[in-house]
Amino acid sequence: MNWHEEYRKKYKELKEKGVPFFPDVVLLDTIAACLVFALLVYLAAFHPPHLEGLADPTDTNYTPRPEWYFLFLFQALKFFPGSMEAVAAIILPGALLGVLFLVPFLDRGPERHPFDRPLWTGLGIFGLCVYAGLTWAASKSPLANPAEEKRPDVIAGKRLYAQLSCAYCHQIKNEGGRVGPALDRLSDATTDEWLSKHLRDPQAGTPGSRMPKMNLLDDEVSALTAYIRSYNPNDPFTPAAPKLFAENCSACHRIRGEGGDLAPDLSEIGAMRDKAHIQKYIQDPAQFNPDSTMPAYKGQLKDHEIEDLSRYLARQRRR
Amino acid sequence: MSCCEGGSPQPETPEAIGRRAFLSRAAAVLGGLIGAVLAGVGLGYFISPALRKKVGSWVDLGRAGSFKPGAPVLVEYTQRKRDSWITSESRSSAWVVTENGKDFTAFDPRCTHLGCPFRWHAEEKKFLCPCHTASFDINGKVLGGPPPRPLDRYETKLENGQLLILPKKQEHA
Amino acid sequence: MSAVYLWLCERAGIDKIWETLFARKVPHAKGPAAWLYTLGSATLMIFTIQFITGALLAMSYAPSPDHAYDSVRFIDDHVLLGRLVHGLHHWGATFMVVLTALHMMRTYFMGAYKYPRELTWMVGVGLFLLVLGFSFTGYLLPWDQKAYWATVVGGNIAGQTPVFGPYISKIRLGGEDMGAATLTRFYAIHVLVLPALIAGAIGVHLFLVIWNGISETPKRAGKQVAP
Repeated sequence: MNWHEEYRKKYKELKEKGVPFFPDVVLLDTIAACLVFALLVYLAAFHPPHLEGLADPTDTNYTPRPEWYFLFLFQALKFFPGSMEAVAAIILPGALLGVLFLVPFLDRGPERHPFDRPLWTGLGIFGLCVYAGLTWAASKSPLANPAEEKRPDVIAGKRLYAQLSCAYCHQIKNEGGRVGPALDRLSDATTDEWLSKHLRDPQAGTPGSRMPKMNLLDDEVSALTAYIRSYNPNDPFTPAAPKLFAENCSACHRIRGEGGDLAPDLSEIGAMRDKAHIQKYIQDPAQFNPDSTMPAYKGQLKDHEIEDLSRYLARQRRR
Repeated sequence: MSCCEGGSPQPETPEAIGRRAFLSRAAAVLGGLIGAVLAGVGLGYFISPALRKKVGSWVDLGRAGSFKPGAPVLVEYTQRKRDSWITSESRSSAWVVTENGKDFTAFDPRCTHLGCPFRWHAEEKKFLCPCHTASFDINGKVLGGPPPRPLDRYETKLENGQLLILPKKQEHA
Repeated sequence: MSAVYLWLCERAGIDKIWETLFARKVPHAKGPAAWLYTLGSATLMIFTIQFITGALLAMSYAPSPDHAYDSVRFIDDHVLLGRLVHGLHHWGATFMVVLTALHMMRTYFMGAYKYPRELTWMVGVGLFLLVLGFSFTGYLLPWDQKAYWATVVGGNIAGQTPVFGPYISKIRLGGEDMGAATLTRFYAIHVLVLPALIAGAIGVHLFLVIWNGISETPKRAGKQVAP
């Protein structure tokens, strides 16, 4: 390679005419670093990482999605039949990495400007386009099970419920013992105050109760209360809510036999979804289910009407 | 990019030197800014155990009426405790003293000298610690021996006729 | 001050080190192209932040399925600035991947991987892989649903490897199924193995950058040699 020496010589001249690394270049580096750092701090402070519920190896409904920069791989797998999956998952990415690694030995001429290397520049742009296209396509694909955002205290309460073996005596969704009352259909008169008092000392409020006293910590009491409450929403809805349902929803949905049958029966929707989820769904169904034919009601109904309707629906549980 | 022009091969003029000094200072200030924010955040996180307040939880020791005046008893109780991210149940105890059946005092069951468990001697009406022969009266006052201070107390309160205490490690300088 | 400086110069040669590292001359990049050369140092800064925040997080993290999740919640809810430190590390991971990729793109499109910087490029590709390794192993540590299931899928993909698939899968998981041994394995790789490897690779990469000098902004010159 006889151009190597020429390059060395010319580079040396260029370097001598150049600028000192410090401070000229270092200043640019610190300015860029400051901008990147500011963005990082902004994201960390205002978009803190979201922890989902504790890992549950027995959960068969969870749809995992990778970090966004691995989405392309997720999408690429869809183009290959099962028997060819190894090609998409291992061989192709491996080969691409190999090419990337060996690029300096494949493209060896002295030319450096991107326009002087149309093949390699083209390949690079092509690769980026494929990557961007796959990522975009993956981000558009519907989620079979939208992740339900739950309140942290409800998540904590659910774990305590399991740890303390509450299900030995109590039932939720027909699972558990029958010694104590079912906790997903408490009477509307059961307030949070009553619940937390009862959890602290069952015998104090209900003499003769067979429930043991568990010496719970304050935040454990509130977590369990929140968990039990999540199955027993007690936000009151107004008398207008059933009318709103009859006027806007009953053409397709039905509750206890009243209404159409084009869309799911909502008689027990409150047992499956909480009010916040129902409210978001009514506002814009497409964010959870892009294939839904249900119209978005945001703008169609007033916000307080959607809220009222969601409360009404969240109360629809089997008694 | 006005800030990166120059760097000519000629000998340096005073302006070039001044410019260099300015650029150096600017880089140092910006770099220092990142470092200061990072150091502040990191230090706060690192020293947070020193700033965290320990919050106890009230424990129910039973009916207040069941304690005999003038006769200290060692009450055992089970308490759920939080050790950072671990919650566990542990058994501990406290000496409960009442002189009139209305006002209650609860003592940490460890001697203030070196932490040995002490006992109530009904005949002598004293708390005696076997390790270094320390003795305290029924109010926890030091009567003899090496303890540096009276017995440590827990906060107490009465609620619906139940006696509650707030067990907490005492902090002494 | 100057006495200390002279003392250090004599014994540690800090003046020579300064000259080699910072007072060296580099080709003058003009205009907006000069900013493209800041990507590498920005990545180095984020790496430093990842190192610091990672060390802090490790102080309150328990790599066991029983406690991992609770310890992360503890950091978020009960440690002073814990949520911020966790956030910095979380977003820093994304920044590492993005900045490394952008830095590679700059190098690729400027043809800066050519003679005499082939080795710098190859070490750089290795660094990129290490960054992805950090991302993959770190993703599992919070032990929440997202972490667990994404790692299960990632493992299934690795298990597709012809011939060696099943072995790779077991080695990666530390056993037949994902569980306690997987978490400790990922944790050890994330906080001990990868940092050691990446520190060495960064050292070599920076040495090569200084040894060969930073590449010049390319000019159109056809087949001519035109630095």
